[in-house]
Amino acid sequence: MSEVQEVSGEAGNFEVTVLQSPRYIDTDLCIACGTCTEKCPKRVIDSFNAGLSRRKAAYLAYPQAVPQKYVIDSKNCIYFKKKGRCMACKKFCPADAVNLDEEAKVRKMRVGAMVLATGFAPYDPLSRDTFSYGRHPNVVTSLEFERILSSSGPYQGHMVRASDQKEPKRIAWLQCVGSRDSHHGANPYCSTVCCTYAIKQALIAKEHSTESLDATIFYIDIRTQGKDFEKYYMRARDEEGIRFVKSKIDRVLPVDDTGKLMIRYVDAAGKRIEEEFDMVILSVGLSVRKDTVSLAEKLGIELDQYSFSATSSFAPVETSRPGIYACGAFQGPKDIPYSVMQASAAACAAGTRLVEARGTLVREKPRVSERVIAGEPPRVGVFVCNCGVNIGGIVRVPEVVAYAKTLPCVTYVEENLFTCSQDTQDKMKEVIKEHGLNRIVVAACSPRTHETLFQETLTQAGLNKYLFEMANIRNQCSWVHSNDPDRATEKAKDLVRMAVAKSVRLDPLEEVKLNVIQAGIVIGGGLAGMTVALGLADQGFPVHLVEKEKALAGHGQKLLKTWKGEDVGAFVAEVVQRVEEHPLISVHLQSTVVEAEGFVGNFRSTIRTGDVTEVVEHGTAIIATGAHELKPSDYHFGRHPNIFVSLDLDRTIVTEPERFKDIKTAVFIQCVGSREPQRRYCSKVCCTHSIQSALRLKELNPEMEIYILFRDIRTYGQREDIYREARARGVAFIRYSLDEKPKVDISDNKLRVTVKDQMIQVPIRIDAEIVTLASAIVPPADNKLLSKLYKLAMNEEGYFQEAHAKLRPVDFAVDGVFMAGLAHGPKPVEESIAQAQAAAARAVCLLAARTIYTSAEVAYTNAAYCSGCGVCVEICPFGAASADAETGKAQINPAQCKGCGLCVASCRSGALNLNGFDQDQTFAMIDEALAS
Amino acid sequence: MNEWEPKIIAFLCNWCSYSAADLAGVSRLAYPSNIRVIRIPCTGLMSPKFILNAFRHGADGVWVSG
Repeated sequence: MSEVQEVSGEAGNFEVTVLQSPRYIDTDLCIACGTCTEKCPKRVIDSFNAGLSRRKAAYLAYPQAVPQKYVIDSKNCIYFKKKGRCMACKKFCPADAVNLDEEAKVRKMRVGAMVLATGFAPYDPLSRDTFSYGRHPNVVTSLEFERILSSSGPYQGHMVRASDQKEPKRIAWLQCVGSRDSHHGANPYCSTVCCTYAIKQALIAKEHSTESLDATIFYIDIRTQGKDFEKYYMRARDEEGIRFVKSKIDRVLPVDDTGKLMIRYVDAAGKRIEEEFDMVILSVGLSVRKDTVSLAEKLGIELDQYSFSATSSFAPVETSRPGIYACGAFQGPKDIPYSVMQASAAACAAGTRLVEARGTLVREKPRVSERVIAGEPPRVGVFVCNCGVNIGGIVRVPEVVAYAKTLPCVTYVEENLFTCSQDTQDKMKEVIKEHGLNRIVVAACSPRTHETLFQETLTQAGLNKYLFEMANIRNQCSWVHSNDPDRATEKAKDLVRMAVAKSVRLDPLEEVKLNVIQAGIVIGGGLAGMTVALGLADQGFPVHLVEKEKALAGHGQKLLKTWKGEDVGAFVAEVVQRVEEHPLISVHLQSTVVEAEGFVGNFRSTIRTGDVTEVVEHGTAIIATGAHELKPSDYHFGRHPNIFVSLDLDRTIVTEPERFKDIKTAVFIQCVGSREPQRRYCSKVCCTHSIQSALRLKELNPEMEIYILFRDIRTYGQREDIYREARARGVAFIRYSLDEKPKVDISDNKLRVTVKDQMIQVPIRIDAEIVTLASAIVPPADNKLLSKLYKLAMNEEGYFQEAHAKLRPVDFAVDGVFMAGLAHGPKPVEESIAQAQAAAARAVCLLAARTIYTSAEVAYTNAAYCSGCGVCVEICPFGAASADAETGKAQINPAQCKGCGLCVASCRSGALNLNGFDQDQTFAMIDEALAS
Repeated sequence: MNEWEPKIIAFLCNWCSYSAADLAGVSRLAYPSNIRVIRIPCTGLMSPKFILNAFRHGADGVWVSG
């Protein structure tokens, strides 16, 4: 609810003026009960649900909003519109949290760096009359359809169309609405994400439909260039029956009184076709928000021609103003994984600038010494909350209190109006001491929102915070059984009995403090690896950079220019020099890691250089082993001097430019080895690369005839500009099909390419003088060794597997190990650099903490029961379980354990258990749940 | 028999289904009260022993969600 008003100063010392609009609800007092919403008489259009439903003027922005606190929308609230009338929210709020007199606050803050992560605005298709959008309710944007599919959306996740609330049987998605479109008001660039999200929506729509759904995606090119997206596309097309139609849409017209829509289009063969659908989804693109543009103007940062932040490929998150960084869709249209990478990259860039200030604002919390409860019989204190009327209005709380007093081991029971209020916390601390309580049960809302608050109170009372359990008698009882107070009260008693039964079986748990070794190892000395090394070293941490070749630089040095025209070679040379001169980076050339042991914060790796081995200790490891260009086995590669792969062509253009001056005809063949059954992924960079090469050849010889044989052109984002430029300069694009791949013949030392043009369905023969194969990017075979050494997951193609495809794109599931660059999947220079900066930021988070605490809720072994079968070692996804070298018995490293319990469930001997969720505790809860 | 109502024990993953059950409350959705939820940190912990134990103690149905 805040916006930046003014920024003065410079990098390292900005003063930012922020205007915070009033929320009219005190977040410290709001208990998120929703009474204000319930009582508010004013209904307004819900913009979160894309205007498809209504909400109240007192509202929660959306169900998962953080903080989980309500807001009063003063633009619509009756009190603000009609001078002080209504005030229902204030009257009924049980926590007295409503403050309608709150005023906007102006805050000034001093910061050393700023990050702009302002997101995007979806393209608004209202101005386009082609699609009947805004004139027919069954034409919706993809964002609107996203809300329709959502269980918290306008129809509770039931897929229905607006006109008659009936389930559609045929849905069409129209791609590139407002993208790749040079019309006035539309965006000429590709929005990057729409092909994949349309496929996702079609798959989810199929899942949500009660009868079989006919889903069709009308497209220009399918651009599933992101990691693993091609497989998703293939699955949608080949296994789930989603129909993909390459086409150009002419018009969408309503069919009278049926709610249906007729789509008139021209298919790939140029045939005019009309088809009827029940619903039409417009896959709208991503634009820069208008308020972002004005903010950028205020800050004086440069924007590109589409108003995205203008950044260099070599510093993808740096704006034109030092100390101000940009990430996410403001820097260009992009998907979630790349946005998350850029966010961490911006943190790295900002952190590097703020090294001196690190930790200066940290305040230590005073520690209270913990009471030893060993030997004490359980003395349980139960606090039952009314939550104003939220619980007490349904559940008869006094009855629950009386019942709790009868339960075994319960020595103290108290009824509270609000158990979470500060005065109750203070009282709880006193009561714990006064009555010598050693287990606390709170019967109130959800542990998901309130467990940490109560645990903090236990800590302050000198009680181990794990001696705590909650009974969820609000969210999972009074709120959902409001029509049956008797049974809600009975259920609340059961829940309290279950919680008490568990609590008496709880033990104090310990979070072990571990030191983090203040150094990192980076494996791979290409552009990504070097960027990671600099990211760590520039922030003050020593780095071992291990490279198997004779020199640093990797494949980056073979690239000529980025698609924006920046000189890659010169940049790589500069980075190599910076790395070599950096006092904190030890470069190990012609070296490999041959052994590794340890865990997050405490690794030991053995580096072999020739016959010499060196053991290094490090807190973190970053894998940046890269990938390389496939040497094709088809298209006669290697049998003719004028058949190139992309990088060879680049090199030859530089070394022998005169060789191309008289060439009359050149052919590029795309997807050589990519997007094929044996390699089911897109290599992401090749379309852009071939178009760049074609433009370069055109510069050498404007008369040259150039043909690019493609399946889908994937010049995503602003790269679409060079695709358009290539077409304008006469480069011919011929679409071929995987079933009828082009053929290259050599006769009399001459090259002839034959391709069946998918548009005219006729074979075309081209007498080419040069043929360039845009061959696949493939991972190095020795990734497998590293995978074994550090217990790292790989995908089926041999790229390393991130912990979460969207939200943790640089982390491994194994803590303390990160990845960057092509080791993760094919990607261009700017994405490699951003990912490398992101990996550095993630690693620095760990190193800068200096110490880490292991989780207390981890698995542990009872060696007496362990048969040493090794199932837990096999099954643990985090490498936390191992067999003791001497006894062969299972052991769990708490630093690596994530507390998932897989080992516990799989142990046949009952030798494993999970702290905080011991099996006997769960059995006790089951018994008590069924005891009444 | 019409009066009969099954006793159901639900084992819900803390991170997804348990949160969804909380959200059902926030959204004031109503459902029958014959269900008792046991929160588990992850369905990885879900042992067949829990299910058998629930049935042995009289559960009519067990729901595991995660």
